[in-house]
Amino acid sequence: MRNKRFDDILNECLDRLLMKGQTVEQCLDSYPEEADKLKPLLQVAMATRRASALQPSPDFRTRARYQFHSALRDMEAKRSRPFFGWLPQWATVATTVFVCLLVAGGGTVFAAGNSMPDEPLYPMKLATERVRLTLTPSGIGKAELYAELADRRIAEIERMVGKNKPEQVERTAQRLNTCLMMVASLLSVQEAGGEEVALAPAPRTPALETVPEESAPEARTRGEGGGSKRIAKQEEFRRKMLRSAADHPAALRAMLRNAPESAKPALLRAIAISEAGYEKALRALD
Amino acid sequence: MQNEESLVRRAQQHDPEALAQLYEEYFGKIYRYIALKIGNRTEAEDMTQQVFLKAIKSISSFKWKGVPFSAWLFRIAHNQVVDYVRKRAKHATVPLVESLVSTGDNPELIAEQNLDAERLLSATQQLTKAQREVISLRFPGGLSIAEAARVMGKSQGAVKALQHSAILALRQVLFVE
Repeated sequence: MRNKRFDDILNECLDRLLMKGQTVEQCLDSYPEEADKLKPLLQVAMATRRASALQPSPDFRTRARYQFHSALRDMEAKRSRPFFGWLPQWATVATTVFVCLLVAGGGTVFAAGNSMPDEPLYPMKLATERVRLTLTPSGIGKAELYAELADRRIAEIERMVGKNKPEQVERTAQRLNTCLMMVASLLSVQEAGGEEVALAPAPRTPALETVPEESAPEARTRGEGGGSKRIAKQEEFRRKMLRSAADHPAALRAMLRNAPESAKPALLRAIAISEAGYEKALRALD
Repeated sequence: MQNEESLVRRAQQHDPEALAQLYEEYFGKIYRYIALKIGNRTEAEDMTQQVFLKAIKSISSFKWKGVPFSAWLFRIAHNQVVDYVRKRAKHATVPLVESLVSTGDNPELIAEQNLDAERLLSATQQLTKAQREVISLRFPGGLSIAEAARVMGKSQGAVKALQHSAILALRQVLFVE
């Protein structure tokens, strides 16, 4: 019986160390009568966790992500074939657009476009975004769209903090995380050779410096063909991401001072997600 | 992860965004679990990838009846390890110190991890199979006791007791012997 109780205490302390990031001392303070017995075990647990904190190599990570996304694309292609297999691809897209226009004709989609996470039309907004993603064929196009959706999520988080809705802040932050993760994944796939179009080389200019349009090399080559247009577009995307990475987390941090107390923990998590997410996306761009 | 159930349901509908999110969430944990169990980093990388490819193929068969998704995924990893061990039974294990070192940029950290990883390997080799399993699921795998119990097909009480005895045994080997 006594052993069973000790197993429970040890397990609770391990959860606090491993999952909640507490210290050995905090756990010992909770169970002073068991401290002598607990301390060496918790120290072993911490050493074990340190020793097993292994990371796969970055090269493998990139390769694995590429293979995973290829498998997803194959799966998607196989699934969509029975539905529209008899139609040429342009017809599939046209049909989907037609259906969307029919729905949009009622004005519902337009109204949903400005809705917030606590409003009834918000699921429609998310559904419309999914349709847009489906209709975007290229990886880089999808990455750009996810970046745009991340901008929306940031604005929504700001509104939900203002309205003191911590649960909605949490949910929207998770959606933000997904968007930024998808940007990073799609860019990694491109880097690994997943699409014909490779990203332009990293700019030599400082991250947030604005390059005058006409002096930029890509601007001079504008109109010389599809390739240079594409490179200019990619460069523009890179600049946009750099701006967002600087501005968005800063905007959320600025809200901290005046945010309602009950919304602050969720806001802090949203800030952490935005910082880590943009950093990851920028690493994929380098 | 928030609302994993709805995420898994979306993944079962082959929503690529949901599948990618689950992949990112579990990739590192599954890799560490496999690496610690088999002691070979290169093999662990390939096997981790196989686990996820199997998972996306069979995710529609996952039934949400109180079984955590993590338990299902780690079960696939466990089976992958069992197959590997069976096939490689006659081959010697690659020493952990050579194969499991994390590739960071900090030489001091690498040295510390080397030392710890080497000692951890020799220590875990002296545990029983069940003790090694609970350590792999709890520490590198990051599973809760309930999830570990699901993967191992044991009661939570039994897994807690195993966890206790495994840590005692590790302490004996790492710090007392």
